[in-house]
Amino acid sequence: MSLKQLQQILDLPSTRREFLSRSGTGLGSLGLASLFANAGGSGGEARAAPAGTSPMVAHASQFAAKAKHVIHIFLNGGPSHVDTFDPKPSLTKYHGQALPTTNLPTERKTGAAFGSPYKFAKYGESGIEVSELFQHTARHIDDICVIRSMHAEVPNHEPSLMLMNCGDGRLVRPSFGSWVTYGLGTENQNLPGFIAMCPNGLPITGTQNWRAAFLPGVFQGTHIDTKHTQIERLIENIRNDQIGRGEQRRQLNLLQDLNRRHADRRANEAPLEARIHSFELAYRMQMEATDAFDIQQEPKHVLEAYGSSVQARQLLIARRLIERGVRFVQLWHGEGQPWDNHDDIEVNHRRLAGECDKAIGALLGDLKERGLLDETLVLWGGEFGRTPTVELPTPGANAGKINGRDHNHHGFTCWMAGGGVKGGQVHGATDEFGFVAVENKVAVHDLHATMLHLLGFDHEKLTYRYAGRDFRLTDVHGRVVPELLA
Amino acid sequence: MVSLFRFFLVSAVVCCGERSALCAAESPTSPEQLEFFEMQVRPLLVEHCAECHGVKKAEAGLRLDTKSGFTKGSETGPIVVAGNVDGSRLMKVLSYRDGETQMPPKAKLPDEKIAVFKKWLEMGSPWPDDAANAAGGSSAKDHWAFQPVKRPLIPSPLSSGERARVRGPSGDATPLAKSDSSSVPPPSTLDSSKAPLTPTLSPPKAGGEGTGKEHFTLALSPQSRGEGTKQIEPSNARTPIDSFIVAALATNELALSPPADRYTFIRRATLDLHGIPPTFEQVREFEEDASPDAHERLIDRLLASPLYGQRWARHWLDVARYADTKGYVFTQEPRYPYSYTYRDYVVEAFNADKPFDQFVLEQLAADQLGLEANSESLAAMGFLTVGRRFLFNNHDIIDDRIDVVSRGFLGLTVTCARCHDHKFDPVPTADYYSLYGVFASSIEPDDLPIIGQPKEAAAYEVFQKELAQREQAVNEFEQQSLTKLQDELRERVGDSLQLIAKGSGNWLNLPPALAEKIQPVFAAKNEPRPQVVKRWEEFLKRTATMPHPVLAPWHKLEKVAAAEFSKEVDSLVESWSNADAESTKSINERVRKLITEKKPATLVDLAKLYGSLFEAVRGEWDSHNKAMPDAKTLPDGASEQVRLILYGDGTPASVTLDEARRVFGRDIRDKITKLKKDIENLKVTSPGAPPRAMVMRDGGIQEPHILIRGNPGRPGNKVPRQFLEVVAGPERKLFAKGSGRFELAQAIIDSKNPLTPRVLVNRVWQHHFGTGLVPTPSDFGTRGLPPSHPELLDWLASEVIENSPRWSIKRLHRAILMSSVYRQSSEDNPAARGIDSENRLLWKMPRQRLDFEAMRDSLLAVSGQLDLSLGGRPFENQMDTNSRRRTIYGLVNRNDLPGVFRAFDFADTEATAAERPQTTVPQQALFVLNAPFVQEQARQTAAFAWNSVTEDSARLDVLYRRVLSRDPTSDERELALRYLSEALTTPTEKLTPWDRLAQVLLLTNEFLFVD
Repeated sequence: MSLKQLQQILDLPSTRREFLSRSGTGLGSLGLASLFANAGGSGGEARAAPAGTSPMVAHASQFAAKAKHVIHIFLNGGPSHVDTFDPKPSLTKYHGQALPTTNLPTERKTGAAFGSPYKFAKYGESGIEVSELFQHTARHIDDICVIRSMHAEVPNHEPSLMLMNCGDGRLVRPSFGSWVTYGLGTENQNLPGFIAMCPNGLPITGTQNWRAAFLPGVFQGTHIDTKHTQIERLIENIRNDQIGRGEQRRQLNLLQDLNRRHADRRANEAPLEARIHSFELAYRMQMEATDAFDIQQEPKHVLEAYGSSVQARQLLIARRLIERGVRFVQLWHGEGQPWDNHDDIEVNHRRLAGECDKAIGALLGDLKERGLLDETLVLWGGEFGRTPTVELPTPGANAGKINGRDHNHHGFTCWMAGGGVKGGQVHGATDEFGFVAVENKVAVHDLHATMLHLLGFDHEKLTYRYAGRDFRLTDVHGRVVPELLA
Repeated sequence: MVSLFRFFLVSAVVCCGERSALCAAESPTSPEQLEFFEMQVRPLLVEHCAECHGVKKAEAGLRLDTKSGFTKGSETGPIVVAGNVDGSRLMKVLSYRDGETQMPPKAKLPDEKIAVFKKWLEMGSPWPDDAANAAGGSSAKDHWAFQPVKRPLIPSPLSSGERARVRGPSGDATPLAKSDSSSVPPPSTLDSSKAPLTPTLSPPKAGGEGTGKEHFTLALSPQSRGEGTKQIEPSNARTPIDSFIVAALATNELALSPPADRYTFIRRATLDLHGIPPTFEQVREFEEDASPDAHERLIDRLLASPLYGQRWARHWLDVARYADTKGYVFTQEPRYPYSYTYRDYVVEAFNADKPFDQFVLEQLAADQLGLEANSESLAAMGFLTVGRRFLFNNHDIIDDRIDVVSRGFLGLTVTCARCHDHKFDPVPTADYYSLYGVFASSIEPDDLPIIGQPKEAAAYEVFQKELAQREQAVNEFEQQSLTKLQDELRERVGDSLQLIAKGSGNWLNLPPALAEKIQPVFAAKNEPRPQVVKRWEEFLKRTATMPHPVLAPWHKLEKVAAAEFSKEVDSLVESWSNADAESTKSINERVRKLITEKKPATLVDLAKLYGSLFEAVRGEWDSHNKAMPDAKTLPDGASEQVRLILYGDGTPASVTLDEARRVFGRDIRDKITKLKKDIENLKVTSPGAPPRAMVMRDGGIQEPHILIRGNPGRPGNKVPRQFLEVVAGPERKLFAKGSGRFELAQAIIDSKNPLTPRVLVNRVWQHHFGTGLVPTPSDFGTRGLPPSHPELLDWLASEVIENSPRWSIKRLHRAILMSSVYRQSSEDNPAARGIDSENRLLWKMPRQRLDFEAMRDSLLAVSGQLDLSLGGRPFENQMDTNSRRRTIYGLVNRNDLPGVFRAFDFADTEATAAERPQTTVPQQALFVLNAPFVQEQARQTAAFAWNSVTEDSARLDVLYRRVLSRDPTSDERELALRYLSEALTTPTEKLTPWDRLAQVLLLTNEFLFVD
């Protein structure tokens, strides 16, 4: 750091400077420091904490942007693009025969062409084709931007999950959600800013998917196992089963009285004040969090629109969280890697889509109806797609049924909606059979750069100083894809 | 500028190994030439090159925005050759020749611009030296941290006139400003050997706080005695540390705060050194201790307790990125069975005040110190081995080790140089790979040494028995799988040959009639596995040049084009018409017969024939073997020749277990992984499993290559194993002893290495005062922050390396804790705050918050539940109500750190952690309000009060004494009693009002913060 930069930091008002260093963001985190220049909380008065008490306090992005929240629907395991959003008639034509082109190397050996067993139809004014698997989602196709030219780096789950979530396949880097909450804070101090929901346990590579890495631990995603329906199983320590609310308030009053006297004898100590405040936040959070996760408060028609699967429940919770100002919600389809259908893809993809399509459609409609879609960026996708060719038997790797697809990182589909995305369009294309992205290719880093842009950040300037270097989500890569922007 | 210039020369040689680059840099340049460069060339470089070859991108490792970058060239070498302008790569790419790289990529430059480049190269490419702060650190070598540690004179109480001459470390108006040479006393006074009056760290034996009368007993430097000097308040300058701090304060017209009272001091020191608060009795004893050495004895008592090691080891474990799990490792056992032996080693090292240089040596090279085979010090090497396993990617594992060593000991971010030269510090990529070679030449043995004495015999026996069983299960399964694999290799030879035949590339333009025949027809249902085919393919390659009786026809025919195949078969058969000819007899009879009879039309056909022959012979051998179990050969010579290909030595099916592990199918490998996990699991969980040290040993020596851009697929120049040039200087020696780990450790503790002692004393200072003298404790490079008190830092460092006992951390603690700086009050002082709002000059003691461990341990301590035992396996479920051990012994699960760890800012376990963040989030409050663990401690604490006396007011005294080590004030008494009288207990309340009151005290800021 040059002396000049140092001086700039020293010139910040004392409380802010103190906050920067005490909150663990460090003097060196110029990326964030510069953001504070035009900081201003956007949360409601009652919800926002006083400045300088928590690193989670909402702050403005680098430039004005529409997207304020993110919902990432993660179909972990890798949904097949040629069976969902990337129709390939030629593949059907060659079904059962060798492709005229070479099968690209993926994790395992694949054989003949494998035409999609699902029907595709045109939807919306844009007439974009979507398979029957996502027919409910497809009703909102005019709000959706389908990116058919995604590509990743390797055909293996672990590095691809890391790449999609943390911007690097191997090295320990903070997750996208952590970067976003670091950059923006969150609007509701009574709820975690970054929530990762996954029913029945953890996805492959576990909590690394929402890790904060070298960012302060508060920016890490809070994992919630939506298998549970009771609030105390969802958020740690959210309920006190030993004393009633009234008595807790009385207890808290005594505590705050003692703390106040203690602080009065110790002038000018922000951390003491911050902790006093945090007890009030926690007290309110007990109510608010209970509320946010209680979907039974929703009217019947809403519950019916989403459906009753656990995936539907977490999609509905996601809307309730976004509504309450949570910054980043990630929804994993389930423990492990449910979409990884090396066998029986027809049955399995149908079942999996059946668990979430209706609710995704409902969510998009719901967000739109409430005027939330404009400020909520929805991302749908997996860590990669699947091969257009059939996977050949490998003992131990699959059941040898020759009716599934292997991983495919050469080309796959993601889609985005809301939050300033230009809907009703297809961007990029894979080759005739869906093996490899060939037109307007979008790398995962490009997707990240574009999403950060939609959230109001220059991906090259949202940085964090660590181990002598300014790190960023896109490392030295990434470009904003202007065609995706409204 | 001289040293700047030398640095570039050295780095050019190291990086390129090319003399030409050197010459280019050395040619003399005239001002006219430089002007030509600035006016003509530089604009072209900026316009056409810098976007990709500049500070942001450096494509191909080439930078054209600095002289050093230009001189160094690209990853493939220099881009100019002195004396050969047209042969220079720069001119080649500019001239847009076909088949060569063409630059700039958009379009060829106009001829006149190329002519400018040409003219410039003919001049010898004059380029002014890079500005002092150019990236890559021209001035970086002059950076303060890389200069030798020089023992400074201790500042003396000064007159204002002298103050100007010997300014404090922060002599400039801004306390953080870089020190300049004027702040250093004349060289003659710097030599410690000639300065007998220089005091040592030992604090005065006599003297108490706050009397204002005692004088610091060690002599001050002579000039301080000059007539007319104005003495700084004597009470303020009791120890050398005080002198440095006070001098800097005085320069800013500040002073130390008055001493804290004894209650505050003992609470501060005890929480600092033990991580739990003092008892009420300990406080009272100290308050009533009138002896002049009361403080000193207190500090000695605290340092002598094993509680000290349990507290301070944790600070080092943060640096060592300690955890008990491996990170995500697929389906393997995620826990380290023996990580705890490293943790226990560190606790013991702190308790025993192991000299830090020895501590370094053991952590890096305990295997090379001639220790006993079961020495507990071997566990020290866990420092290297408890890191994340990065899906077993060895490059990343080594990177992690380089990182923990370089940031941990040296405060240098060496791993920045993995892909390119460090952009800010003088660490070239070559130096990174020099260290890489050290770790690549070290291995982790499968059989880790058992350390200490064997555990309880019975449990150990049970463990051994179970272990033997589980190991046997793996062996048996591997052996079975090996036999199966050999069978598979023999069974699938025909199928493999068909695939090899089909893939041999002789099938272009095949007549349609023949196309059908190249489709393999597998004897087994499926394609043979690629690993199986590969072994046969390699075997065929090996035998291709031999006159092999069985395979010769194959080798002859495999080269034949498809259309010629039948003709070639005919002529081959024809050549065998004379059965007695040697050339005929040299070919196996059964092979000849098959080919003659079946006349294969394609190579795939031939493969099928061979397949049927091998299958037949396999059957014959099976029956023969059944009839004659002792048979070694088949009686028929021709059949025996075929049999030998299936069963002979050096054939594909004669596979060792080691080879087999690479050829096994995924199902087998998964099963083996599972069986091995059972073994690991036993080591993790069995009470009889003996402790082992996670050592490294020297393996095969690997002379490292630079990996260009960090890419293992792009090896560049070889580099020797040696230490960092920035520390060891250009004359550094190559590592010659095994991997070089021992020499690396020695280089780190070398008395000339200025970084290690500075980084050490700074870390110790940091944990006493909350912030280091250098606020970036693991980055002493040019991007780190400069020290607030550079002379104090150096004085402490020189004490550590020069005065006995050398490298003693406890001695350092004593010196700091005995200082007035540490003893002063933490009260606010608005006037001082106006001058130094950050308290960087330490005009008051910084108020600190208990970290996660100290908080949990303190809760347990005051509730009377704390289990103080030392060492052993990590315990899980730290937040269960019945969990009572100190937090340092809890399982640190980096795969899934419990929410409460994260909420309370536990250290990052992914990489070395110098500091913990300090956040205040409602999750922390939720935990202390609602967690059963806290409620349990409240119950236990209240029970003491309730059970020991009967009267509420007396109970309140007991409660306050337990939690806050003091009596309540009358206000507090009144508040508490009123609360008790108002608190309701309905059926909902399972905590009594006293429990709730106890919880309130446990939750107070007074409990969590240290004044």
